[in-house]
Amino acid sequence: MPTEQYAYEISLREILPLLDVELVDIEGFSCCGEPMKSVNQLMTLYLSARNLAIGEKHKLDMFAPCAMCHLALSECKYVLDSNPEMKKRINEMLASEDLNYHGDKGIVHTVDLLHDHIDIEAIKQHVKKPLKGLKIATHYGCHLIRPSEIGRPVHSENPQKIEEILKALGAETAPYAQKLDCCGAPLLANLPESALTKTGQKLKAIQEQGFVALVDVCPWCHKMFDSKQVKAGETVAAKLDIPVLYLTQLIGLAFGLKREKLGLELNLSPVGKLEF
Amino acid sequence: MSIVDLTSMGEPQAELRREINERLSKLRDEISDYCFQCAKCTSGCEAHKLLELEPHKVVALLKRGLIDELVNSDVIWTCMSCFKCKERCPQRVAPVDILFSLKNLAVLSGKEIPGKYTAMLQSVLSIGLIQDVQSVTTHDGKTKKREELGLPAISKPTGTGKFQTVLSKIAMEKV
Repeated sequence: MPTEQYAYEISLREILPLLDVELVDIEGFSCCGEPMKSVNQLMTLYLSARNLAIGEKHKLDMFAPCAMCHLALSECKYVLDSNPEMKKRINEMLASEDLNYHGDKGIVHTVDLLHDHIDIEAIKQHVKKPLKGLKIATHYGCHLIRPSEIGRPVHSENPQKIEEILKALGAETAPYAQKLDCCGAPLLANLPESALTKTGQKLKAIQEQGFVALVDVCPWCHKMFDSKQVKAGETVAAKLDIPVLYLTQLIGLAFGLKREKLGLELNLSPVGKLEF
Repeated sequence: MSIVDLTSMGEPQAELRREINERLSKLRDEISDYCFQCAKCTSGCEAHKLLELEPHKVVALLKRGLIDELVNSDVIWTCMSCFKCKERCPQRVAPVDILFSLKNLAVLSGKEIPGKYTAMLQSVLSIGLIQDVQSVTTHDGKTKKREELGLPAISKPTGTGKFQTVLSKIAMEKV
């Protein structure tokens, strides 16, 4: 994941051990390759396969907290598992680093890890400070929900897993028309103004509909909604001041953890005004 | 060595042209024939609302063989890769995949890679990551390093020589 989104990483490392998940840091990973897909799809495939092969070498399932990384890895697995010719070609490239892709390990994202593997009831048991009275908008991120053809952790048109987790934390949520809209991040590389307009449009709609915060689960989406919120507001002539948090930060707050333990000082949106 | 050198180095144009045409003929024959121009892709397209990308027209142009026009058009770079078109197409045409291939072909043809893609590619080719940020700024403007925040060192390819060799080869290969 983009190695600047430390708040996500800090909060993940804080809450997962409480839920009996052990994270193992492995050396040698590269970029997942997805940002390079417009330039060279074979490179994307190779980079993802290489990361998966490193994970396999350690006999571990892969945890990809970034929706974009999760997409690249899942698509790579889908392609290589269904296309023996491509698998052979990629494995020949991997051989120089003494790596080999078999395809016998799983790939999980934060949402399915929490919802499917850890289970809502287990999360509920840890809640010490329910998020009472907070009406929170959810944003899943395009790459987490589509394309369902390759297998995604949540439903493509009506995702509900984050909503279920929020309810377990004591928060409220509601559907809104722009829920599936893109954050704009994929255009950041070549059309930054348009990317920010996308971000601003969605945030403006969320703010106008009376949500007190937005929750996301992807470092790219978060970068747009949180870090670039002020700039995004300028593109749509709106004063945006909506707290944007990672789901893992909200969970930590509901677990009664201190704000500094959850990297909240790194959120650039007004998370300080969130009271419950 | 620049990125343009890497992507076009030592490849005779005729050979390149053949590869490109083969790839697109494949796309045209295998995919675009199924499209009946219902425009469901365009109705949901994230880039359509903002940048007037019309995925169903991209498929129509491909079907008519107007490949050079597409490859040379800036509009292919407006796709946000939200995958709604792929998800919702009743004929499983996936304009987003066509657009990825067209962009790849634009790069292969030696067209300038737009925006920050060049810098990201250069970074991936040299260190394996699109960026290597070691510190971040807090809400009140302080700079914090990874270790100050209690985070371990960033995982990156070790012994990058072999890794770089393979990557550079891919950068020159056909898609």
